[in-house]
Amino acid sequence: MEPREAITILIECMLDADRDRASRLLGELLESGTPAQELLRQVLDPALNEVGRLWENRELSMAQAYVGARIAEDFLMRCLPSEAEGAVRPPKGVVVIGNIEDDFHALGRRMVGSFLRASGWEVVDLGNDVTAEVFVEEALARGAHIVGASAMMHDAAMNIRKLRELIDRRGLAGRLKLAVGGAVFNWRPALVEEVGGDGTAANATQVDALCDRLLSEVRTEVGP
Amino acid sequence: MKEPREPLPFWIACGVLRPELEALAAAGRLTGVRIYLDSMLHMSPPALEVQLGRVLQDHALPKDLATQILVYGDCCPGMQGLLEGHGARRVDAPNCAQMLLGRARFRELMRERAFLMLPEWTLRWETVFREELALGPENARLCMQGLITGLVYLDTGVMPVPHEELEACGRFLGLPYRVETVGLEELERALAAALAPEAGS
Repeated sequence: MEPREAITILIECMLDADRDRASRLLGELLESGTPAQELLRQVLDPALNEVGRLWENRELSMAQAYVGARIAEDFLMRCLPSEAEGAVRPPKGVVVIGNIEDDFHALGRRMVGSFLRASGWEVVDLGNDVTAEVFVEEALARGAHIVGASAMMHDAAMNIRKLRELIDRRGLAGRLKLAVGGAVFNWRPALVEEVGGDGTAANATQVDALCDRLLSEVRTEVGP
Repeated sequence: MKEPREPLPFWIACGVLRPELEALAAAGRLTGVRIYLDSMLHMSPPALEVQLGRVLQDHALPKDLATQILVYGDCCPGMQGLLEGHGARRVDAPNCAQMLLGRARFRELMRERAFLMLPEWTLRWETVFREELALGPENARLCMQGLITGLVYLDTGVMPVPHEELEACGRFLGLPYRVETVGLEELERALAAALAPEAGS
């Protein structure tokens, strides 16, 4: 099967939530002898990019894009070598994510987690309604240099200021970067600065690039 | 000389709470003018913001005659700006479910990962999932998997529990449902607090 045809089928699977068909497709591709790592580059990446494009153009709802990301994550997990195979790529870094205190809108955060994992990051997902203290403690315990705090609406987003204050008060600003995200930041970009975010991404497909940038800032400021 | 009159409450509310607000008014537990916007506007917060701005503008009255109060949660990005711009107030709750449940119970249910269903919304569940979110049952189930453990219908007592719709929605999402009796007391308390002079704008 040509990569172009495989991409088209995978996109259909992502839009139809057809996990079985996606699994069969992957099985066929692997049986044909294409190395799993090659499939990530030739098939998964372009399919994910297309779903991201459709979402950005508002041709998909967020819920549809989330379903697509779940299918992509299935595909990715089967393509990655297991530890037993001894060829595991080290993660790009550790990112701790969660919905800030008083926010219970998990969909966007889950999607960010899927995209980050698919891009090679180790993700620690703390869930909903996470306090500033828990974010910082977990980040330190897991050796993370990036925390990602999500909020859908304004009032909850203002709780991210507590996280900013805690990071600064503990003298961690150089080695622990604060990524913020959620619908309200897209509607009101000035809010990123207001809550003290070090950066944001308009959607989950752009979070990998954001984390690359934030990690490189940490390396510039405190060394590798 | 005439006594100065209290400003008339002018409630601008999400249609999702229309049955409850009308029940309170019918029972003499809520006074003032009431205007409702379509609850489906919740699916597009920027569009809701535009509509709310129009309604606040169209129904602006001198402050000694009327107090505009939004019966909305933190439902659109510029909510605070709207309130400040029009000298209006808002019920102190982040969303309509918390208005009915109170903060403590709302948080408990969220921690259980419950999907809360209000009466008016329950009757429109299929439009929301199929048309607004463009999800079929397979996509919807995959979407809910790991996020939600079950549906909880908030029975405010203003209409018969729509078991048929709840069962259909549960089948569609592959989730069980249960009914929680909530009554109107928490909502009434939230409205009264918004009306109190110290609530300000």
